[in-house]
Amino acid sequence: MSVIALPGGLRIGVDSGGTFTDVCLWDGAAGRLSVWKVSSTPGDPSEAIATGIGQALAEAGRAGTEVAYFGHGTTVATNALIEGRGARTGMVTTRGFRDVIEIRRQMRPALYDLQARKPEPPAPRDLRLEVAERLRFDGSVETALDEDEARAAVRRLRDAGVEAVSICFLFGYLAPAHEAMVARLVAEEMPGAFVSTSHEVAPEFREYERFSTTTVNAALGPVMRGYLGRLAPRLAAMGVSATPHLTQSNGGVISAEAASRFPVRTVLSGPAAGVTGALAIGRAAGVPGVITFDMGGTSSDVALIDGGRPRMAVDVAVHGNPLRVPMLDIHTVGAGGGSIAFVDSGGLLKVGPRSAGAFPGPVCYGLGNEEPTVTDANLVLGVLNPTHLLGGRMAIDRARAEAAIARLGAPIGLDAMRTAQGIISVVTANMAKAIRVISVERGYDPRDYVLMAFGGAGPLHAARLARELGMARVLVPRNPGILCAMGLLLSDLRTHLSAGRMLPLSPDGLAGLREGFAGLEAQAASWFAQEGIAEADRATARAIDLRYEGQGHELMVDCPGGPLDEAALAEVTRRFEAAHKQVYGYASPEEPIRVVTLRLEATGRVPKADIAAHPPAATDVSDTIIGTRRVWLPEAGAVVDCPLHDRPRLGPGHRVAGPAVIEQMDSTTLLLPGQVATVDPWLNLMIEEAA
Amino acid sequence: MSTAIDPITVEVIGSALSTIVEEMGKAIIRAAYSANIKERRDCSAALFDTEGRIIAQAEQIPLHLGSLLGIAARVLGSTDVAAIQPGDVFIGNDAHTGGGTHLNDIVFLEPVFVEGALVAWVANLAHHSDFVDRGHAHIFQEGLRIPPIRLYRAGVLQQDVMELVLLNCQVPRERVNDFRAQMAANRLGVQRYQALAARYGVAVLHQATRELLDYAERKTRAGIAAIPNGRYEFRAPFDTSLWPELLHLAVAIEVAGDEIRFDFAGNPAQTRSGLNMVFTALQATVYYVVKTLLDQDTPANAGFHRPIRIDAPAGSIVNALPPAAVYSRHDVAQRLVDMCFAALAEAIPDRVPAASTGVTVLTMSGTHPRTGRYYVYNESMGGGFGARAGQDGMDGVHVHTTNSANIPVEALESEQPVMVEAYELVRDSGGPGRFRGGMGIRRRVRAVGHEATVNLGGPCNIVPAWGLEGGLPGGLARVELSAGVAALKRRDGLIPDGGSGAAVTSGGGGRGDPRLRDRDAVRRDLREDRISAEAARDIYGLED
Repeated sequence: MSVIALPGGLRIGVDSGGTFTDVCLWDGAAGRLSVWKVSSTPGDPSEAIATGIGQALAEAGRAGTEVAYFGHGTTVATNALIEGRGARTGMVTTRGFRDVIEIRRQMRPALYDLQARKPEPPAPRDLRLEVAERLRFDGSVETALDEDEARAAVRRLRDAGVEAVSICFLFGYLAPAHEAMVARLVAEEMPGAFVSTSHEVAPEFREYERFSTTTVNAALGPVMRGYLGRLAPRLAAMGVSATPHLTQSNGGVISAEAASRFPVRTVLSGPAAGVTGALAIGRAAGVPGVITFDMGGTSSDVALIDGGRPRMAVDVAVHGNPLRVPMLDIHTVGAGGGSIAFVDSGGLLKVGPRSAGAFPGPVCYGLGNEEPTVTDANLVLGVLNPTHLLGGRMAIDRARAEAAIARLGAPIGLDAMRTAQGIISVVTANMAKAIRVISVERGYDPRDYVLMAFGGAGPLHAARLARELGMARVLVPRNPGILCAMGLLLSDLRTHLSAGRMLPLSPDGLAGLREGFAGLEAQAASWFAQEGIAEADRATARAIDLRYEGQGHELMVDCPGGPLDEAALAEVTRRFEAAHKQVYGYASPEEPIRVVTLRLEATGRVPKADIAAHPPAATDVSDTIIGTRRVWLPEAGAVVDCPLHDRPRLGPGHRVAGPAVIEQMDSTTLLLPGQVATVDPWLNLMIEEAA
Repeated sequence: MSTAIDPITVEVIGSALSTIVEEMGKAIIRAAYSANIKERRDCSAALFDTEGRIIAQAEQIPLHLGSLLGIAARVLGSTDVAAIQPGDVFIGNDAHTGGGTHLNDIVFLEPVFVEGALVAWVANLAHHSDFVDRGHAHIFQEGLRIPPIRLYRAGVLQQDVMELVLLNCQVPRERVNDFRAQMAANRLGVQRYQALAARYGVAVLHQATRELLDYAERKTRAGIAAIPNGRYEFRAPFDTSLWPELLHLAVAIEVAGDEIRFDFAGNPAQTRSGLNMVFTALQATVYYVVKTLLDQDTPANAGFHRPIRIDAPAGSIVNALPPAAVYSRHDVAQRLVDMCFAALAEAIPDRVPAASTGVTVLTMSGTHPRTGRYYVYNESMGGGFGARAGQDGMDGVHVHTTNSANIPVEALESEQPVMVEAYELVRDSGGPGRFRGGMGIRRRVRAVGHEATVNLGGPCNIVPAWGLEGGLPGGLARVELSAGVAALKRRDGLIPDGGSGAAVTSGGGGRGDPRLRDRDAVRRDLREDRISAEAARDIYGLED
């Protein structure tokens, strides 16, 4: 397989979400970007994708054969995980340890909830089979694998109708021979079954997290394979021969083949594409430090980009399953435009995580929900269009929303306006808390970053959120509602390789470091060859997870390229101590440092859609005003007449002074008194406090 | 008099205070050295007001509330408050002089100053895997007793205090590095609180704090009012491998309107063993019980304590006086929780579980053959959670007042000279019922290359966790030793090189008649080897 870099070829990005499937078409020759939105088909998402691509091509008068690249963000793996629709999965593991994935870390899911439940393990207990084998902590063999017993176990799984097999041995990441042997037995005894081994899926120490990740991967394997198998003929029928590239949770894309072997890597596919889009826009606009704020209908995602690189996460759990695969550090909170506000038993106003969803939706939709949502609050305050949403396509009922909010506020002695503003304040505080998790808790000061707001509701709340956190600038991209689909056209191919190695960070460990990185670099070379990446477009970056000897949590530190010698050791040590100081506030120079995991990021550069600069606007900013809106602003303590600007008419150089409302089909931006928005050459709005 | 501030500001400040303690808790776990903190997360953090009342806390383990309850009040009561300076750091661990509930929990307490005035306190505690292989006849045998004293004075380390502490520890290198993590967490808390004060002003912050206490009180009263009025009692015999005879425990709970009283009259006198609870440990136990009956997001601040009254005879096992030993206070605490729920089953049967496993401890120590240094491996194990109304109890979890994580086998064996031979659920240990009790755990550990000192055991070896509404009790706990290992004395013994010891922990009680259990659920339990064929046939009455 190869990435065909047809000059002038069409590039398509498809973000397949729960409600809408967004299609972005980039015509390189014409330098034109066009966007389609069609309703998703959750039963088989490939159906909406084919419809969307077909319509997009027809509208542009182009043929499927002209498509040179197809980038795809998908929720197939996420939804299968959340809804427990994984394949029938068996497990082969070390004698005495089949319950590791069920006992988990022995903690219960909620400290004070007597009705709490543990998530169902990804393989049921009767399909978790133990075999005699045991490795020691240094990878040496204590008990050799009993091959006959292993073969018998595989046959039992076959006879039980298992579709996927997870192979997980203690310390298997250090010495893969036992796991590899069982994988061969599965290939012999049950050809066609999906195989997932712990040394390939998550080669890092801590057995519960590794076993769980490996078994989740197994359960998702047949699901992803089936999905891609349905997508391929639909694409072929349209003449699209470019194989899909799927976004992974690490923000890079991988081939469909890799995605079907490691579906667990695509669990954050959608939000990761948004971060990639934000990264590209930040890079074009010359903003290397960004906190992304992607607020949709039911939830919001935030992430931090530092020095032009998004942060990778450690210790991630999705739906109660820890996943030890490379993921962007994206923090999700259950609060979006559809989140419901309520007064709790102690008389405080709360918002979410319950959501009115797309149906019945906010009170103002008039479809039966009478509990006010965040969208209703924005409507009552006057920030949103009082009669229609989605560029006039949807009629709404403001009076109904106001009555619901008044009912909510009455018992706590607040009128409708103050209650509505209270809902916004509580949501803003929740968002600020989420941003603190990915910034201050990791040792980063949010005031050093630009807040990039997107998703349908991000730009509505960004100005207040930035003030709450003391952030000086907010960037609203030109198309905030479709940034995820755009991100798909802006991604490089990327894979993260890792190898667990317990070594001292000292001259004694150098041989092990060299051997470990040489192995990873060989893996990267074969991956590049497989993906058809030319020499000139290949790049690798080393990193090492380190901790002080005896510590339990690692810090990931960049490791210089080139020879691994004492100078490189000194540099890595310096970086580790600096990172430790940044995160924990101290370093312990007298303590020995341990290597835990070696990492290699391999990036294959692909041609990407350009983010073009535009010439300065020829019009006066007053020409972009299409009316006024009466907005209740606590900052002014009153209802204020705010000018209403039409976003499509704004061009580079225009300055809009707050208070103001800027409207576009897919979003609405609120500017507060004292803030000024400037349009940059890439048509982004940059909001700052007036000097 | 102060004017009320709006509920929105209160909510926003409450959220900020909880973020501060959560960040502190995470900072300890990430920066700590010892497996007990970094892997098992045996630590907690809190903020106090200037009167020593808890205003926010992030507890990993409910019983830690007791340790934190003691220290701030004690420092305020025994220290010249006017002499306290920025950068003073108090440490303490003594159960009888207000620093903890057992000596392993070392608390760090630091004042927060804004513009020269003391405005709040930050505190955190961590369980240090030290003071092992000790006697427990009285507290002097259990380790170094530290009353709340300054480890830092105006930011300057009191080296003589540090040296005294470290000389009394068996693994001083872990202690000094874990102390650094605790210091860093408090520093973070001080900075965050000061930033919040700079933003809102101390007056608003304090007013919001008072309102948050009132808010928690209102929510607590609302929760208590939902329980029918009455006096509910429960008595039960209790066995633990720490004591040669049964202990007859008693609880009585009186609900009157929106107030609740816990009466512990009738409990045995304190013992010459580590089983005793000091009053703050009892408070933590009761607060855990009450908190499970409230809205999940009720802040556990001092306002939550107001409608709760606790009476316990001084000198009894649940309100011990000096010089009682207290190391294993969780044994009795866990059983008291089960008894409180059993008492309340009369009033609110659908909201309380059947009895659960307690805590089983597994400690190995000795000289590490690879390093020549002393090591301590400490694990506390859960087991079966009691069956609930409408659903089974959880299998293989920590229950009630504790919730520490296990130590991954791959982390443990990389550091300590032991090998784990099995870590699994125990068949037929879940108490049978229409809803089955949770299953106990077996963890078998071998000593590698040395002779290890072991401390191993827990409760429910004779008296199992009871069921409710006709459900049967959970399986009993036991200790399994490999051939050639001498029987333990109470919990103590030696494991020779290559020998092993296993804890088999107890299951939770069942609920309802097992013959009424859904047949598919019985078949699934049988297929998954959670119950034996005999149990399926004879107890559950499965006919196919």
